[in-house]
Amino acid sequence: MKKIKFSKAHYDFLRVYNTKKIVVLVSQISILICLILAWELLTKYEIISSFFFSSPSQIVKTVGELWKSGELIYHSGITLSETLIGFAIATGVGFLVAFMLWYSDFLRRVSEPYLVVLNSLPKIALGPIIIIWFGAGSKAIIFMCILIVVIVTILNILNSFTNCDKQLIALAMSLGANKFQIFFKLVLPSSLKDIVSTLKVNVGLSWIGAIMGEYLVSRAGLGYLLIYGGQVFNLNLVMTATVVLCVLASFMYFAVALFEKIMKKHFN
Amino acid sequence: MPMQLTQALQANFINMNIVSLKNLTLTYQSLDSELLALDDISFDVKKEEFVSIVGPSGCGKTTILSLISGLNKPTSGSIKIMDKTPNLKDSVCGYMFQKDNLLPWRTIEKNIFFGLEIKKNLNKERKDYALTLAEKYGLKEFLKKHPNELSGGMRQRVALIRTLALKPELLLLDEPFSALDYQTRLELSDHIYEIIKKEHKTAILVTHDIQEAISMSDKIIVLSARPAKIKAIHTLDFDANLTPFERRKTDKAKELFDTIWQEIQNEKDKI
Ligand SMILES: Nc1ncnc2c1ncn2[C@@H]1O[C@H](COP(=O)(O)OP(=O)(O)O)[C@@H](O)[C@H]1O
Ligand SMILES: [Mg+2]
Repeated sequence: MKKIKFSKAHYDFLRVYNTKKIVVLVSQISILICLILAWELLTKYEIISSFFFSSPSQIVKTVGELWKSGELIYHSGITLSETLIGFAIATGVGFLVAFMLWYSDFLRRVSEPYLVVLNSLPKIALGPIIIIWFGAGSKAIIFMCILIVVIVTILNILNSFTNCDKQLIALAMSLGANKFQIFFKLVLPSSLKDIVSTLKVNVGLSWIGAIMGEYLVSRAGLGYLLIYGGQVFNLNLVMTATVVLCVLASFMYFAVALFEKIMKKHFN
Repeated sequence: MPMQLTQALQANFINMNIVSLKNLTLTYQSLDSELLALDDISFDVKKEEFVSIVGPSGCGKTTILSLISGLNKPTSGSIKIMDKTPNLKDSVCGYMFQKDNLLPWRTIEKNIFFGLEIKKNLNKERKDYALTLAEKYGLKEFLKKHPNELSGGMRQRVALIRTLALKPELLLLDEPFSALDYQTRLELSDHIYEIIKKEHKTAILVTHDIQEAISMSDKIIVLSARPAKIKAIHTLDFDANLTPFERRKTDKAKELFDTIWQEIQNEKDKI
């Protein structure tokens, strides 16, 4: 990179830009702190019931207890691994199927009504069937997760593939390109943006899938803690599981955002 | 004796028709309509000949190029390119589309190499040739930039170099200058003309600009309004040393312009 000397106006512009950025960040953090403080104080003086609303200090205490007993790692580990496995398989399979449907016009037309119906079907309705087929364990949960993610992935990525500029494809064909060259040199690069945003959506959907699966199966995991805590009216446990879930989901989202940044750098 | 033989072969080759179209018709089919785009089109293009096709817009000029390139098949009639049916796999055509079709995510350099890459021909010699062309057309300092950073004229040049880099026997140019300002258009047509003559290429140019056709061609084919029929074929006999720019200024060019303009005007009245 060459060092470029900018005008004073440019530095002014940068200063204003950075100041705005800091103000936004500070506001975001202050809101979080205010909310936590208000929650703590309101429950401490029992203005709202600490039994129904738990409280930040109780949550911290519960996290500490769960950490000591090893349950925190155990349950988050289970949910996280189910989510990651579901996410990876569903994204991979979705991508492959989308490729096949892009490749073969015949397959695409034949499968269209099936995809539409599967997409509008609420997957949770298949819960009992899934449990009978896969047993009440991680397998069933991962399958539920895949089911929720894969159809949307296929539809989104296929849509992006088929929207590739027809003129560009005509150019490649006039040069004698085969279908694989068209795919790797035109279709894939022009859908990268859509693929990354599909990944982002999939992160959220995989968490939904895993938690929903755990609700159904209820053996272990954060979804199990939520259901169990709810049943025994242990709101501390429910809130703690929710907070842990929030933290894990944000980490995964940031990982995808980082991936997006790297892709952008490589492919401009 | 062998000497005479090669000469005879060469002479034969020069007289050979690179392109030969016989009684072409093409109907575009759709569910609720049929559209006759080409009606009985026949013409030949000899080696090293520069042929222009002019006609009112929407008459079927692009369609003719798509048939010659092999992207499209005629409903009836025959097309021979160097005595063979057009074939996308080992095509001798370099097809330059109306739109520049640059890939926005590739740098200019990578765009120029795109054709070579598809043809699996990306060797040192071809790369160097392409880069020499790029330099000649004033694109050297843009090689690492992306298409959205270039003006329309620059982009069109990149598309042209991408086509020329393949060293095609036959150039198909679909209104290559239509997006450019007048100045650039004159400059670029002089350049292209020079390259085509120097490299002994054959070219078919589609244009709606009659002057442009006159300034570059050995033969001009005037098409009727859709369905395209051949309305007239003009053979031009300008001094071979004149550049397109110099040709434009001759009286002969002006006369021919009037004739062709009249022919096309009659067609427009029919629509
Ligand atoms: N793929 C297609 N399907 C149906 N009609 C088409 C198609 N391509 C072109 N046409 C029609 O054929 C006619 C000729 O088109 P084209 O060859 O592009 O004309 P030109 O290049 O002379 O402007 C136009 O009326 C156009 O609408
Ligand atoms: Mg056209």
